[in-house]
Amino acid sequence: MISADQPAPNPFWFHECIVMTMPTGKKAANLRELLQTLREVDESVLSYHLWQSRVAIAPPDVEYLNDFVAWAANSLQDSRLAEKLSVIDPFGFENLQEVRDNLVDTLDEYLWDLPSVPWARPGFEFHFCEASVVVLRSQISARTLSEFCQALTQVSRNSIYYHFMDARWRLRSMKTDDFSNWIVSSYDLPDLVSALQGIDVWFYTLEEVRDAILNLVSQYMEKTDDNPPRET
Amino acid sequence: MTTRLEKLEPIVGPIVIDQLRRMAEQLGSQRLVHVNSTRSGGGVAELLSSIMPLWSELGIDARWEVIEGDQNFFEVTKAMHNALQGFKVTITNGMLQHYLEINRRNADRLEFDSDFVVINDPQPAYLIQDMRSRARRWIWRCHIDASRPDRKVWRFLREAVRQYDASIFSMPSFAQNLPHPQYLVYPSIDPLSEKNRELSQEEISAVMERLGVERDKPIILQVSRFDSFKDPVGVIQAFKMVRAHTPCKLLLVGGEANDDPEGPRIFAEVQEAARGDPDIKVLLLHPESHYEVNALQRAADIIVQKSVREGFGLTVTEAMWKGKPVIGGAAGGIVLQLRDFNTGFLVHSPEGCALRIRYLLHHPEVGTRMGRLAKEFVRNHFLVTRNVRDYLALMILCDNPGHRTMAI
Repeated sequence: MISADQPAPNPFWFHECIVMTMPTGKKAANLRELLQTLREVDESVLSYHLWQSRVAIAPPDVEYLNDFVAWAANSLQDSRLAEKLSVIDPFGFENLQEVRDNLVDTLDEYLWDLPSVPWARPGFEFHFCEASVVVLRSQISARTLSEFCQALTQVSRNSIYYHFMDARWRLRSMKTDDFSNWIVSSYDLPDLVSALQGIDVWFYTLEEVRDAILNLVSQYMEKTDDNPPRET
Repeated sequence: MTTRLEKLEPIVGPIVIDQLRRMAEQLGSQRLVHVNSTRSGGGVAELLSSIMPLWSELGIDARWEVIEGDQNFFEVTKAMHNALQGFKVTITNGMLQHYLEINRRNADRLEFDSDFVVINDPQPAYLIQDMRSRARRWIWRCHIDASRPDRKVWRFLREAVRQYDASIFSMPSFAQNLPHPQYLVYPSIDPLSEKNRELSQEEISAVMERLGVERDKPIILQVSRFDSFKDPVGVIQAFKMVRAHTPCKLLLVGGEANDDPEGPRIFAEVQEAARGDPDIKVLLLHPESHYEVNALQRAADIIVQKSVREGFGLTVTEAMWKGKPVIGGAAGGIVLQLRDFNTGFLVHSPEGCALRIRYLLHHPEVGTRMGRLAKEFVRNHFLVTRNVRDYLALMILCDNPGHRTMAI
């Protein structure tokens, strides 16, 4: 536990990002085409379909972990493949090349045993996209855990996405994020950091991720009078 | 006086409005020109009408220019529109020359010097040929389902489009092979417009009474043009399957599709299928009857959009915004908007449509939940504020070509 008002050496500045989807023009009408294209596309395409699409166009309830799983389930109507792809946790790997290798290997093995290649119906092809991102510094910062919690309730979903999901790719370390990094550098709370990094983001909407982070941080904070977030 | 941004704030939340203001502030004083081919009627004009006051409130110096053309020009552009949607049409070289001539005349007539120009659809696409130096960045915004364009027409249009700095499409499948960045910007609706603003129960009841719609049974509604792609006859078939089990009534509301050669035949088929059935009402409304459509959607229990081909399907977005359970044909952008048991139902046949209507009639609580989720989905992704945000982001990105991430 730590005092809610204990100041950190450096404030946490919240940013937010606008993810602009960019269609590549490439598409897959069947599972073999998906596999072949996955081998060739830039890593930016992988990151788009694995997590960026969640902020670009997020369903109100999370049912499938990423676009590949959703396509297997909804367009190929292949539940078994969707189940197999669901096991792949992109943040469980060191980098995107490893994620790609794993996806490709899973699809290749699956196709190997099939008597025929599953096709999507016309209109349900997989369209490969990537994204450009505009990052904005918000006017909200936090210097204490109390301010951090208040600020979390005020920032946009895009901000939660930027610091908690996008950060893993940006920091070139799939296992950490901006919030954890700030707490590590500011406070001696290894259990909180570990709990934050343990949040299974794939099954949460960004609003639910926000609530989960708030819940965890609150547990490690000694309550004092409310201290509003800093606005400049 | 309350500004539109202030009116939008309780609907989208202060975070969204604040974000727009900060992005606009970062952009600084920019001049923006939108160009299209009509001041009223159609989705593009509706969008621009909604967006223009917001630009002004955000401090962007925006103008809306409309190109002028004769009847022949608009016949050519209508044919081009249909060709881009994949229909077989005959467009002669003479027609294309006339199209180019009208674009040249408009280039002589239009006077602007701008930072950004957004050219909407094919009609003014060739303005860039004569006006390139009059703006720093040129963006082509395609609102059409160009997933399977006619080769000859697209090759002609591509010669102009390739000169732009970026293009915008409404769905990933509409994107083309072009030598510049292509962006996806979903269409949007304006929650303050006559078609979407909140209505009181008194207002809704008055419209129902005026249109002669009794609310004695659950109302199933489809609002669409009477053309084959909206499958109104399939909706009647579905309705009859449902009514064999459960009392309800069907409202088919729309206008005749005058530019669709099959329109009169489809409308005749609808009338024939509905003849003598007191529970089916076909309403032909004026294209500008936005207020009436709003009231009808709010009075309906279930809204159907059983399209077999669709661009984005903004009628689905409008229905979702009213918190209604929506059943849509699995086509175009409807697939993106409706997710089974979540934001609505997707169907593939009249039988499927009947099945989902029956389900919702017997499980109204599921419909209420889906309607709530649908409204939140629209709030987050398909309102005009998101469209403005995307345009602001696009302006930032266009001014920094080659940067995949742009921090401001």
